[in-house]
Amino acid sequence: MKLAVVVQRYGADISGGAELHARYLAEHLARHARVDVVTTCARDYVTWRNDLPAGADRVNGVPVFRFPVDRVRTPRVFGRHSERVFEYEHTVGDELAWLDAEGPACPRLIRHLSAVSQQYDYFIVFSYRYYHAYYGIRAVPSKSILVPTAERDPAIGVSLFQPIFRGVRAIMYNSHEEQAMIRAVSGNAQVPGVVVGVGSEVPDAPQPERFRRTYGVRGRFAVYVGRIDENKGCNELFEFFQRYVALRQSDLSLVLIGASLLPVPAHPRIRHLGFLPDEDKFDAIAAADVLVMPSFYESLSMVALEAWGLGKPVLANARCDVLRGQCIRSNAGLYYENYNEFAEALYQVETDRNLAAALGENGRDFFCRNYRWPVIEGKYLDMLRALQDEDRAAGPQAVRTSPLPPLPGWFARRRQMRRPAREVMNQLPLVAEAGAGSLAASPAATGKDRDGG
Amino acid sequence: MADFSIRSDSVNVEEIMRQIRARIREKRGVDYTEKEIRELAAVKLEQFLDPSKVRSDLLEQYRELQQRQMQAEAEVVDEISLFGSPRPWLRRVRRWLRPVLKLFLNPVALMRASRVNVRHTDLLFEIVHNLVVETTRLSMELKTLKMRVESISSRMDFDERRARALESVVQYRPGAAAEEAASAAGRKDEDEGEGEATASRSRRRRRRRGRRGGGPRPGTEEAIPSAETGGQTAAEEPAVTRAAPADRPRASDRPGEPARAEGQPRTEGGGNAPETASSPAAPRPSADAAPRPDGHSGPDQPGD
Repeated sequence: MKLAVVVQRYGADISGGAELHARYLAEHLARHARVDVVTTCARDYVTWRNDLPAGADRVNGVPVFRFPVDRVRTPRVFGRHSERVFEYEHTVGDELAWLDAEGPACPRLIRHLSAVSQQYDYFIVFSYRYYHAYYGIRAVPSKSILVPTAERDPAIGVSLFQPIFRGVRAIMYNSHEEQAMIRAVSGNAQVPGVVVGVGSEVPDAPQPERFRRTYGVRGRFAVYVGRIDENKGCNELFEFFQRYVALRQSDLSLVLIGASLLPVPAHPRIRHLGFLPDEDKFDAIAAADVLVMPSFYESLSMVALEAWGLGKPVLANARCDVLRGQCIRSNAGLYYENYNEFAEALYQVETDRNLAAALGENGRDFFCRNYRWPVIEGKYLDMLRALQDEDRAAGPQAVRTSPLPPLPGWFARRRQMRRPAREVMNQLPLVAEAGAGSLAASPAATGKDRDGG
Repeated sequence: MADFSIRSDSVNVEEIMRQIRARIREKRGVDYTEKEIRELAAVKLEQFLDPSKVRSDLLEQYRELQQRQMQAEAEVVDEISLFGSPRPWLRRVRRWLRPVLKLFLNPVALMRASRVNVRHTDLLFEIVHNLVVETTRLSMELKTLKMRVESISSRMDFDERRARALESVVQYRPGAAAEEAASAAGRKDEDEGEGEATASRSRRRRRRRGRRGGGPRPGTEEAIPSAETGGQTAAEEPAVTRAAPADRPRASDRPGEPARAEGQPRTEGGGNAPETASSPAAPRPSADAAPRPDGHSGPDQPGD
């Protein structure tokens, strides 16, 4: 079997969620099939500037083909398009302009996919909201397996993507919440789908003391790992944590790991260590009392899974339905919606060691059952085999038929009025907590529930 | 330590979160929930808001306005109404000329502007609604605070009156006990009956203090050692001085008098009244005579 992973950025030093997900997946599937990566030359997700050389490359043994981005993204222009599409009624033309402005606009990558479509059995395409995914799936719809990495943000309400969700060959969801949201917005129940997520190479014996020695961290601390960004809820985290320390007379510190796009408050209990290698990151999580995940938008929190893999409890933002759902399903994390809940939950984890240990134990169990790489690989391979069986049964003619409608013409792009994307998103139902229960226990987790596929 | 312990084999995150939320509610006490505040704002608005400043039917008016706006939106925003007319011939002409008219203006922008207006009206409605809710909440808080201030000020008045009454009674003079003993010996025979009465009063007071229970409270007569009980020492005396109200001149403040050292007992000249505490003939302005915060001015215990 020959597979291509199509992703917006790729590299050993690129740590974005979807990009890391793609790299881990490519490296693990390479043990079972021939895997190539098709990506852009961009390293910076804000501008998509061509930082890496175009052409063939190899990252951790996986062949990578990079294509240059035609134009960089201008945040101001993209912001204007986003406002138009998210907040006001608009046309399909507006949505296409928004997609072009978002990028990474890389027509050469799309042409390459069309050219090599017969050489690969399937294309695993990451991140539905980007240019490469939209046009890439349109180029090879019957061979595309989408990993949407969808969050509950207004982009999900953009009408362009609904045919994509209905027209791909299969969808590998990151969470039950993501699956429910995409089904609600696009009505794609007939598309084969399975909740998989992503695994992680959690070390068996992390060394917390080494981390403490290396970085001079003393005492108990909560850790945040990820981009330090307003969208990730870091401003709120800083505010809540400073209030907590001041009001509760707590000796807990907050250690931040990751690149910062925000000024970190100069507070004696807040330490920013910057970007750390994986080994140190795992040691830091193992040394921490709790991992804090303040993000409002997540399709799957890999770092939360890693914390659970290391037996640490998680304190998550309940306004992100995915994080809240993960906490409930795993029974391994507490969540908060406001300062009072943040303070009480953190106080519980800080003071009740039995509770912290029990949550961590549950987390480790949840991780082992659902997010060990053999489990993830098994789900992907099951899906790929099932699709191959279907293709063989249907014959080559069926495979060549495109399920996607053609792009609207000049008049159609200007005529149709579409609802504001945010309004569409707001009307999507939240996943009921009835979805709680372990992934392993749910039929979807076994890969047998193919949702009619 | 945490208020509840959890066994490691039976962790239920949802249950823990329910407990945490219950604890937060307990800590907030009888605080109103958002829902309750909204109900109050909607139902009992006229009871809390100042009618001269905020109309009590403001919400209703804005709701009606919002409905009217929604109806108006349907009439304004579509292209038919923009180029329409009640006269059929004019409608027809406009329809023919519509492509030409569209060259001179952008009807989409007009429609958008109209919708933006409607959206702004919605926002305005929300703002006014929130203002009403906040005003209600503040009004209630203000009433509560006023009541607390009144309560505290009445308690303060009571304490001040009580302190003055005690000061006019309790005076300490060194050597007063010796003088008292000498004069008492001379008057022993004639005053024997009255002495017994004083002793019995003292006993009654001690009994009463015992019945009240608890330690001495600051500002009460238990906190001020009285000469009557015989428990006052030279070291304790400045406490009596400090308890005096600020408007009463101290010995050191008076012209012609030297400043008194800390701990030194007040001299005879410092007192402004005869030693009535030990004088059974003087009227006894008891603390019991002062009004109590609950308005009851009678004795604390029956039979006193």
